[in-house]
Amino acid sequence: MTAMSPAPEAITPDPEEGPAKGRDLRSWLPTVRDTLVAILLALAVGAFLIAISDDEVIEALDNLFSYPGSFFIYAGDVVRHSAGAVWDAYSALVRGAVGSGSALQRTLERSAPLICAGLGVTIAFRAGLFNIGATGQMLVGALAAGYVGFTYDLPPGIHLLAAIGAGVLASAVWGGIVGVLKAQTGAHEVITTIMLNQIGRFTVLYFLAKESFQREGSDNLLSPPVADSATYPTIAGLHIGIPLALVAALGVWWLLERSKLGFEMRAVGANPEASRTAGMSIAKVYIATMAIAGLLSGLAITMTLLGLQQSVTDQVVGSVGFDAITVALLGRATPLGTVLAGLLFGALSAGGLGMQTSAGVPPELIQVVQALIVLFVAAPALIRGLGRIKRRKKPAAPAVAEPKGATA
Amino acid sequence: MRLEIKGLTKKFGSFTANDGIDLVIEPGEIHCLLGENGAGKSTLMNMLYGLLTPTSGEILLDGKPVSFGGPGDALAAGIGMVHQHFMLVPVFTVAENVMLGHEQTYGGGVLNRRAARKQVRELSDRYGLKVDPDAYVEDIPVGVQQRVEILKALASHAQVLILDEPTAVLTPQEIDELMGIMRELKAQGTSIIFITHKLREVKAIGDKISVIRRGKVVGTAEPSASEAELAEMMVGRSVSLVVSKDHAEVGAPVLKAEGITVIDPRGHVVVKDVSFEARGGEILGIAGVQGNGQTELIKSLLGLIKPDAGRIELAGRDISKHGPRQSLEEGIGYVPEDRSHDGYVGSFSVRENLVLDLYRSDEFSRGPALRLDAISANAKARIEEFDIRTENAETPVAALSGGNQQKVVVAREFSRPLKVLIASQPTRGVDVGSIEFIHKRIVAERDRGTAVIIVSTELEEIYALADRIAVMYDGRIVATVPPDIPRADLGLLMAGATPGGSTDGSEVAS
Amino acid sequence: MKTARIAAVATIAALALTACGDREDDGDNDTPKASDSPSVTEETSPTEAAEQFPDFKACMVSDSGGFDDKSFNQTSHDGMEAAAANYGVQTSEAESTDPSQFADNIQSLVDEGCNQITTVGFLLGDATEAAAKKAKDVDFAIVDFGYEAPPANLKGLNFNTAEPAFLAGYLAAAKSETGVVGTFGGLNIPTVTIFMTGFVQGVDYYNEENGAEVQVLGWDIEKADGSFTNDFEDKTAGQSLAEEMIAQGADVIFPVAGPAGLGGLQAAQDAEAFAVWVDTDGCISAAEYCDSLLTSVVKGMDVAVEQAILDSASGTFSNEVYTGTLENGGVSIAPYGPNADVDDELAAKIEELKAAIIAGEITVG
Repeated sequence: MTAMSPAPEAITPDPEEGPAKGRDLRSWLPTVRDTLVAILLALAVGAFLIAISDDEVIEALDNLFSYPGSFFIYAGDVVRHSAGAVWDAYSALVRGAVGSGSALQRTLERSAPLICAGLGVTIAFRAGLFNIGATGQMLVGALAAGYVGFTYDLPPGIHLLAAIGAGVLASAVWGGIVGVLKAQTGAHEVITTIMLNQIGRFTVLYFLAKESFQREGSDNLLSPPVADSATYPTIAGLHIGIPLALVAALGVWWLLERSKLGFEMRAVGANPEASRTAGMSIAKVYIATMAIAGLLSGLAITMTLLGLQQSVTDQVVGSVGFDAITVALLGRATPLGTVLAGLLFGALSAGGLGMQTSAGVPPELIQVVQALIVLFVAAPALIRGLGRIKRRKKPAAPAVAEPKGATA
Repeated sequence: MRLEIKGLTKKFGSFTANDGIDLVIEPGEIHCLLGENGAGKSTLMNMLYGLLTPTSGEILLDGKPVSFGGPGDALAAGIGMVHQHFMLVPVFTVAENVMLGHEQTYGGGVLNRRAARKQVRELSDRYGLKVDPDAYVEDIPVGVQQRVEILKALASHAQVLILDEPTAVLTPQEIDELMGIMRELKAQGTSIIFITHKLREVKAIGDKISVIRRGKVVGTAEPSASEAELAEMMVGRSVSLVVSKDHAEVGAPVLKAEGITVIDPRGHVVVKDVSFEARGGEILGIAGVQGNGQTELIKSLLGLIKPDAGRIELAGRDISKHGPRQSLEEGIGYVPEDRSHDGYVGSFSVRENLVLDLYRSDEFSRGPALRLDAISANAKARIEEFDIRTENAETPVAALSGGNQQKVVVAREFSRPLKVLIASQPTRGVDVGSIEFIHKRIVAERDRGTAVIIVSTELEEIYALADRIAVMYDGRIVATVPPDIPRADLGLLMAGATPGGSTDGSEVAS
Repeated sequence: MKTARIAAVATIAALALTACGDREDDGDNDTPKASDSPSVTEETSPTEAAEQFPDFKACMVSDSGGFDDKSFNQTSHDGMEAAAANYGVQTSEAESTDPSQFADNIQSLVDEGCNQITTVGFLLGDATEAAAKKAKDVDFAIVDFGYEAPPANLKGLNFNTAEPAFLAGYLAAAKSETGVVGTFGGLNIPTVTIFMTGFVQGVDYYNEENGAEVQVLGWDIEKADGSFTNDFEDKTAGQSLAEEMIAQGADVIFPVAGPAGLGGLQAAQDAEAFAVWVDTDGCISAAEYCDSLLTSVVKGMDVAVEQAILDSASGTFSNEVYTGTLENGGVSIAPYGPNADVDDELAAKIEELKAAIIAGEITVG
């Protein structure tokens, strides 16, 4: 009987509050604004880190503290060298992301799997499920798609479809297991997805130790590369997996906003009790959602495996599986947002490479920036709080009480 | 302490929730704040309690202006609040809940539970608030939980106590007890702001009444004012407080329940061998104090929980094994007892909530796809028909007032042909204007020949609607009585006693 | 606040806009900046009158472990840094987080004007070969991989770590009091198991020679299977494997699992058993365990990388696969640990075995 939340009646329309009370485009403006501010803040913190790790800046700072008499000379040096270092790094970042045809291609190639896997997390989010399992789903998808891709000898189009189909199916099953466990036993999906990530990795290692998954004459845990006939065709240097990711986003949008199943997913995600009372099968929704989430993860791994013609290894997923979670968070669990966030992260990843090779900035900086973006997005109150401090100070009314913990 | 509010205004974007509110609350005064849901009472109180920052205007305590950064500031300044939905930790004891937030400790962070217990005892003795400091909150009744909330406020030395719709969750007896507590607090100098929309209570306890409508104080009244006058001030037009209904044209039994028994997950038998019939064209009122098995009974009728024994028949067919989906498709309409829990999806728009259990029908879907045009047209029609006050069909239901939320649920359930309508607490937390409307629609549904089952803990509602009253106590239907039974007798039946010395309640029925 | 925000927006926007404009200039800016380093290094290594190549750019791509993996990526990276310090070459690098980036990372270094690119690990085999075929004027070297028919500009850097592991195995068998020694790996891959095979062969040799029956836990050459942490990071896994072996009587532990192997050292230290470290001299790279170490099986990836860079810079590059051996010093065993207590006789025996391996009298691997 004890409700922990304030009365729904007390929820007053607050246009400053989170994603969209109404659903017209204007209502998204605060969200877009918060996101942009978060990105800029993260880049600003990144700039600070670049500056203080630059040798010349460190030297100037050193001088500054050693000879405080020449404060202005060395302070000028600090500023000048900082600006130079940040300029070098960020101009390299932009060049590496969009500065040339190959940079742009790299950005798109890296975005495609992030978008697909991000969509898998997004769709689960909307049904109230936190899918941490993209990594495991992608691994088993890689195993299946790769096996079909390097073992069989089929005509080009058919081979590609067979490889995609096998990968997507394996991933969907892997995801679906989570749905079944949740629906039948109530096992929490966060636990089961994490466990299945582990199981997925060991499954891949197990198969990679088999002759049929290894290269001839090699004992390395590395499969043969997929056959040419099973790779995505390219148009102007770009493999068609990239437009496919956009089609997937469109499909997810349609599913969520226009289909019966999507209606059920969103309802179950927002209020499972009301959904059950309205006659929906929560078990069915959980299973379908996780299977679709897995399917999207499977599509994501085909982007790398079949798009960039890779071999299957236990490393093949890399950080995409976890970055997908941040992409979905940043995209506010909407298909369009996920696409944009995926493009941003793809660009940061490609630009990070440029930063590293031409400005010598360690790639960890990009990971810091990505993490900071999500941190600032997840804490919009923090951002607004920054704006509010000033306002709060203005009415110099003497509070009767000692304000304790004044930041609300 | 004298609390004064001057020109307090709160705007949310272009929407003005409170518009230049002026109020004075004298020490030791019970000041009633009357207004429909959505009138701006909660916004006002949230500003007083530091949960919201005013756009403009002043709050003065004993003549000194104050500003609150959060509830902590408000509490420290002597303003306490008991929310409509309690903020208690169910697995903590009463004493632990009371000390939460200002824990006393021995050295090294060890909690001083003894001091907390002592404080609870002292406070409850002083104000006549009977509670056991060692009881776990999840085990005590709602009315006692509310006392714990009041104790919490008193423990932090609140001199102004805000009670937000405190009676909404209480039984008639508990309401009487609460009023006693309020009088005791008043006698000891605590000011009380009492928020409600129940006219009877305002008249019973208020020293002064301020009526709020659309964010403004539209007037003040003395407790001597008539209910009709108060209602008119509140709604802005004259309202009829009595449902006019013709005599029931009772038809054949539509829904039959035989020997329903429900055992809850903790192993308690909560519904004990309940049998009844609901007949077409008749309203069966199930009266009873909250927690006597009504909730589980009607959940089992829809198939949300499977009865452990018994049989449910709808128009002659056994539906005991049905899940909610089949039951809904068979023509059962269901208005759940707590709309925000399982009546609507708060983040969904009005449009979507109006088809929450209809979206799969051919009318609203084609193959795997929804028919958005049909869903929109339905929303437009229902909003008009049921006078749902919403900015537009895309507004999330959570942003509507309680009455309008309930109208969404009712409108949805009434928008398809029904054989049986099961409505639990159909007007809980609903303002006067909407109560009138919802009652009219229920009677209209009856007149169409539908069997109607109303579950309510409020005697008013039972008397207003029921053609026949079944009283539930301790999981059983202890009596089925005609609607002209005296109030006192019905109250006794609900409390488990039998009026007139009769040992078998069911005899009253015949 | 608002103005501050706008200023920040403006700054970064300006930054971004102009960045697109002068890509060419920026590339030029790098050159004088990078060429500062030789002047510094000249001061730091005045003793070596080494040849300097300030216009030569040596580059490196890691595998998904990254350059700070305290393992083969890091050791290889040390080799590149040594080349920069000793021969004044410029450097650039790209870390990979997943295999799909390998090709990009190599390509971007080619675009940066690298003269020589070292890639680290067999996972980069395909990507490196493809890049070498495309960028024919760049020299490539790959650590831990050899091609049967490499392109003219691609050199494999292999290490016959079985040789020093053999010596370590012999030493371990000689020092074991319980007659049981143990080894475990990170993953069942050839670059790991080659150590374990050499170690087992060394123990077997000891048994044959002395009629002993020292037993090895954790690796069966015939079945090609044994104990693995299946992870190069998980120290706990390494520790529990080692503890298990110690519980079965092992008193020398040889972990071949990168950082995960540190758990094995911990277990050995806790149980007052001996351990043999891998890849680098443990008394330097994991000094806190030095007291427990008999020796370390050193895989001189840094030496090989530095040499490959020098060869390219001085124009003596060949695509012949380099194999680090005891003979050429590409692999070795580190000086004995402070508590190893290796008597002269045993030390002489080890030296004798080393000579026999170099002479080809004993075949290992």
